Amino acid sequence: MNHILLFPIVFPILAGIMLLTVMKYQNRKPLLAYVGTVLGVNALWGLFAMFRVSEGVTVFYLTKSLPIYLKVDTVGRLFASLMVLVWLLGGLFSFEYMKHEKNEQRFYGFYLILCGVLFGLDFSGNLITLYLFYEFMTLTALPLVLHTQTKEAVMAGLKYLFYSFAGAYMALFGVFFIGRYAKTLEFTPGGVIDPSVFRENETLFFVVAMLMILGFSVKAGMFPMHAWLTAAHPAAPGPASAVLSGIIVKGGILALIRVVYEIIGVDFLRGSWVQQWWMILSLLTVFLGSLLAFREPVLKKRLAYSTVSQLSYILFGLSLFEVQAMTGSLLHIIAHVFIKVALFFTAAAIIYMTGCKRVEELRGVAKGMPVTMWCYTIVSLGLIGIPPTSGFISKWYLAEGALHTGIPVFSWLGPVILLLSALLTAGYLLPLSMRGFFPGEGYDAGRFAGKEPPLSMRVPLLIFAGLTLGIGLFPNVFTNILSAAADFLM
Amino acid sequence: MEMILNFPCLCILLTMFSAIISSALNRRWARYLNTFVVTLVGILSAAVLMFTLTSGKSYVYQMGHFPAPFGNEIRFGSLEAGMALFFSVIMLLSLNGGREKIRMEIDPGKEKLYYIMINLLLSSLLALVYTNDIFTAYVFVEINTISACGMIVITEHGRTIEAATRYMIMSLLGSGLFLIGICILYDMTGHLLMEYLYTSISNIMAAGTYRIPMMVAIALIVVGLAIKSALFPFHAWLPDAYGYSTVSSAAMLSSLVSKGYIFLLIKLIYRVIGFEVFFGSRIINVLFVFGLAGMIMGSVSAIRENDIRRMISYSSVAQIGYIYMGFGLGTGAGMVASAFHILSHGATKSLLFVAAVGLTDASGGHKEFDELTGAAYRNRLAGAAFLVGALSMVGIPLFSGFISKLLFAQAAVQSQGKALAALVVLAMSTVLNAIYFMKTVIRIYTPTDKKYEVTAFGYKVSYAITLGCFILLNLLLGLFSQPITNWITQGLTILQ
Repeated sequence: MNHILLFPIVFPILAGIMLLTVMKYQNRKPLLAYVGTVLGVNALWGLFAMFRVSEGVTVFYLTKSLPIYLKVDTVGRLFASLMVLVWLLGGLFSFEYMKHEKNEQRFYGFYLILCGVLFGLDFSGNLITLYLFYEFMTLTALPLVLHTQTKEAVMAGLKYLFYSFAGAYMALFGVFFIGRYAKTLEFTPGGVIDPSVFRENETLFFVVAMLMILGFSVKAGMFPMHAWLTAAHPAAPGPASAVLSGIIVKGGILALIRVVYEIIGVDFLRGSWVQQWWMILSLLTVFLGSLLAFREPVLKKRLAYSTVSQLSYILFGLSLFEVQAMTGSLLHIIAHVFIKVALFFTAAAIIYMTGCKRVEELRGVAKGMPVTMWCYTIVSLGLIGIPPTSGFISKWYLAEGALHTGIPVFSWLGPVILLLSALLTAGYLLPLSMRGFFPGEGYDAGRFAGKEPPLSMRVPLLIFAGLTLGIGLFPNVFTNILSAAADFLM
Repeated sequence: MEMILNFPCLCILLTMFSAIISSALNRRWARYLNTFVVTLVGILSAAVLMFTLTSGKSYVYQMGHFPAPFGNEIRFGSLEAGMALFFSVIMLLSLNGGREKIRMEIDPGKEKLYYIMINLLLSSLLALVYTNDIFTAYVFVEINTISACGMIVITEHGRTIEAATRYMIMSLLGSGLFLIGICILYDMTGHLLMEYLYTSISNIMAAGTYRIPMMVAIALIVVGLAIKSALFPFHAWLPDAYGYSTVSSAAMLSSLVSKGYIFLLIKLIYRVIGFEVFFGSRIINVLFVFGLAGMIMGSVSAIRENDIRRMISYSSVAQIGYIYMGFGLGTGAGMVASAFHILSHGATKSLLFVAAVGLTDASGGHKEFDELTGAAYRNRLAGAAFLVGALSMVGIPLFSGFISKLLFAQAAVQSQGKALAALVVLAMSTVLNAIYFMKTVIRIYTPTDKKYEVTAFGYKVSYAITLGCFILLNLLLGLFSQPITNWITQGLTILQ
């Protein structure tokens, strides 16, 4: 019975491999029907399985001490639900968008495989399973980056690959050390290392912890290993950049939560230089990301820099080791998924309908695409953190949490930088709305006339904008569950 | 069960006699005989493996009339039998995968000679694996060298003649050092059988006399074998020898010939020099440093290479470095990791060579990366096989390479003082591996409009089956590694 957890992992992977190897679709319609069916069935089954099964499942033993083990908990459910939602709506969005790309069948093949791999990542119950799916996530996301196969895309793909592998091996380095000292590698809130063992080898464990944090945060684009993100995400086709920036990068954050909170244990790290450096690096990234986004003229690149910045909000929240900040981080994960996917969908819709890539070309765009631009504006406000949107709630929790910790300097510096970065966020997101709605004198009114994207592109956008507002209006449902989860992890 | 005890000796004799008989046959029958003998050796070795695994003991088999300490002996436990099985499986697959190329590249009149060389190679490998006499080991090391040279030179290109000459010079240097080492040992101990050598050496080391000559002898033996197995910086002959010879030769040279010497070294460490003596000496530090240097330099050279075959060859330099790094760690776990890597690298590297030839043949015979663009679409199975090999080399979980890395890292973490250097270099080398292998994978999966003349080769059923077997072997090593490491651990214990 518990093995139904395997289905949402194996089924889309097999379906994807079939699509890549055996099946040959001449027309789009049956291909899309196939992809849609697989995604739908898998989403339903995945949701059913993860809320039904709470015990762990050992799939097989890689070696005697390293079982491949699946287990679902609140954090896993959160990530998996977000993934399912984005995968369904992203699929719907791409059905229209991919019309103007080649090699659709390959795109959807990897899209399906990645869905299964991500289920595996979210359901991982121990470190080695997590690592396995993490590596496969890196590899199977690569074809999405490479999809257009322009020189730029290939270079971005290689950059992505090398950064990711470098990060993964820094993390693996830590896995080896922890495997030696820990009794088990199964995720346990509070850590798996004996306190006496930890005290004996304190320096070693600090180095290992720092390496693992640096290694896994490569995926989350933390300075100094962020350069791949702003190359790879804009190079992918629109829907792919949305899922890369919305979901794949969260894989790094999930891995960090697992490693720091459930393998090493926050009590050991609290007050150490590891925590300090993590806070410094994440705050630096928050600020630098916003600053670079502010200077960037190409819309998709600007959004990618924004991802770098926003992910470090989450990382900063995680680095405080405090329940409220952790709740804020988890909330910001949700908020950022909805907002960033919606933003990239807007960028994709604009490219698809008009071909414009740079922000200054888009004067008056809202005259032709009002629904799209309204959605863009709402989610932008969310990212800046203006009430009543989800971003406001999450940032509130983050700032409150930071002030609450009482860590010298950082407890006030953190909120200050978060505020500064919010200003910059307004500076790089809102001009598009303003120029879009109020183009001023002398613009070509006919250019964008009737460019509103078709329904299958508008619906996902509207849903995400609605969710952004919804969470902001009714945050209690989420904060209760999430703070319970955060409390459990401490 | 008494019957099974004869099998190892029978295998060696069988292969040697088949080499002699082949010279009287035509090329077709030489090929059939060779396939038959290699398969038979595989089956017999599997039987010996089952037998030794169930009994958990090792056996000594007296060769000829004179008993020890004067006569010659064969000795086998589960590890030896398993290696013999592995070598014959890889040999069969490599030959089968490159069969068409052998037919195309080798002069029909000489094809028979090729199979004679292969039979001799297998007999010498089996002898290296099974022998209990250090001088017999030397004799078969030379036979091994000669047959390997023959395998390189058989295509008669200018490049292969040059490569074979280089290989010959380096190899003879290695076996020369090995021979001098044996002479010094014989001089000091008066024995050639391994048990007696072991006792004498431990007595000498305990007494403290002749410590330095003893160390010199051990160092000569180790360095001799290291040169022969292409440990960095003695690898200059390797890229040409692997890069230009026919594909079966390249696969066998990298997976069998060099591994045979390494396995001999493992045997010598356990059975002659003694685990404690060897790990107490400074020789392992030298091996450790050269191993680490090889891991980096091999990969760096591979990155700079523009020829896919030579790139794979340079990657071998790095992988041999891993094995010596495992020796250098100076722990039992390091030896287990190295022994596992012999299997894992053997299975992966021969797969890569055989897959690469499918790709180059689908690209008009060009080996440069520019021409290989999109090759994986022209020969889908070879592309998939290359992908599997590359992922295994990079060390992605579920493939055999990951288990090797895991074992090396676990061994490194347990060792004193060397953990950090080993792990850092392991991580660096892995990232470097990722650079050149993933670059190649992306290259072969990038579609192109350029048309190439489609050769029949690469669509042959036997080639496809070979690649399928290789992929399975890789996954087998990656997914079910626990029984294999148990077997290695047990085998190493009874080796002593």
